[in-house]
Amino acid sequence: MEETEDMFESSLNLEEIHFKEGYAEGYGHGLDQGKEEGQQVGLKVGFEAGEELGFYRGCIIVWNSVIQVDPTRFSDRVQKMIKQMDELVAKYPVMDPENESIQEVMDGLRLKFRAVCATLNVKLEYIGYPKTAQDSEF
Amino acid sequence: MELYEGACELKLLQTLEGHTDRVWSLVWNPATGTAETPLVFASCSGDKTVRIWEQNPSPSSSSSSHSSWNCKAVLEDTHTRTVRSCSWSPSGKLLAVASFDATTSIWENVGGDFECVSTLEGHENEVKSVSWNASGTLLATCGRDKSVWIWEAQPGNEFECVSVLQGHSQDVKMVLWHPTLDVLFSCSYDNTVKVWADDDDDWQCVQTLGEPNNGHSSTVWALSFNKTGDKMVTCSDDLTLKIWEMDSTSMQSADGYAPWRHLCTITGYHDRTIFSVHWSSEGIIASGAADDAIRFFVEDKDGLVDGPSYKLLLKEEKAHGMDINSVQWSPGEKRLLASASDDGTIKIWELASLCTGNGY
Repeated sequence: MEETEDMFESSLNLEEIHFKEGYAEGYGHGLDQGKEEGQQVGLKVGFEAGEELGFYRGCIIVWNSVIQVDPTRFSDRVQKMIKQMDELVAKYPVMDPENESIQEVMDGLRLKFRAVCATLNVKLEYIGYPKTAQDSEF
Repeated sequence: MELYEGACELKLLQTLEGHTDRVWSLVWNPATGTAETPLVFASCSGDKTVRIWEQNPSPSSSSSSHSSWNCKAVLEDTHTRTVRSCSWSPSGKLLAVASFDATTSIWENVGGDFECVSTLEGHENEVKSVSWNASGTLLATCGRDKSVWIWEAQPGNEFECVSVLQGHSQDVKMVLWHPTLDVLFSCSYDNTVKVWADDDDDWQCVQTLGEPNNGHSSTVWALSFNKTGDKMVTCSDDLTLKIWEMDSTSMQSADGYAPWRHLCTITGYHDRTIFSVHWSSEGIIASGAADDAIRFFVEDKDGLVDGPSYKLLLKEEKAHGMDINSVQWSPGEKRLLASASDDGTIKIWELASLCTGNGY
């Protein structure tokens, strides 16, 4: 009786064996692909954040040069806002993407940037800036 | 002088036609309505224009309520889309105009002619409302991009952006400054009213009046203050008016900001969205709604047992042929109300007391 059982054991467990094999293979694949995908998304998001920060940094450098040449060109309030933008760019945790302050700093930068542009009456726009949907409503 | 304790009637004085699309809002020039200056108001419309209306000086003072209104100026060719809202500076010299074309224009009254002297750009899309503060130094705008902007008037009709405020999670419908304090109120499609105050040029949201504080459960469309500025009324898509009170007894914060608290809810009178509400200097609250009716409410002095309450004074059914977008009490002595509607007309009303001595 025992021998008969052994004889059939491998075929009885056939399904489970194949399942485990398949699972292990899929898991390996998923791990590889997930890593690859994660890396791609990371590169993309990181690039975007870097591009936007760089855009603001560029504006700040130009504005600061203007202030150096002619300190009366911009009002005290605008100068203060440019300084605040400068601090925010410096504060952005570039090397710490999981830092919770990331969004807050970026939002603050965007608002200050819009305020400075509105007062200077210039139409500067970071091309990647997330736009709201353009459907109509009242 | 509580005339409204007696019976009142609403008399239609005139229907003003001229706008070729729905009339979105109107606002009285606060510096008019005196002995020397006839009443003036501005109306704005989906036809992209603003119209300035003036009361004709009446030949005899006894029939002044029957004097007619004329369109004195049309402000056009500036905005490329609907003009949604406008606001007079306290001196009545400047008119700020907010448009769906994402800009706000500033017009100056130069000897009866209106000139566009400045354009404020900054909002991403539709600007929904504009308001001057009590001293005329600050201007607030809000819009569909969920932001509230504060601008400071500079010499030479220049405007400097003081702050861009983000806090609402949806379309901001209206901004209004407190009548005496530099505290700004905004109401939104996100069902809340937000209160903004400044701390050394740094504007912050100091309070949010939402559903958890007995606030509205749907879009808040408009708000208005009583004469002294210690009470505020808000109107909403949730079919209620809510009265709020400034809690000046609990000056708990260091900057002296007095928080607002819910006082009572006027419910059961409206069955469609309430778009506009305005509190008169005498204490009469007027509402304009999507059911084409105008309603008047006054504080109910008899019902103080369960706290303050308000009662319906009068309801004018079919005041307009379509939705009423704006109701505004006039400055000056007469109890005049102007209403603006989707039907393209503006109506001037007088709320008159029935002092016939019929033993009411």
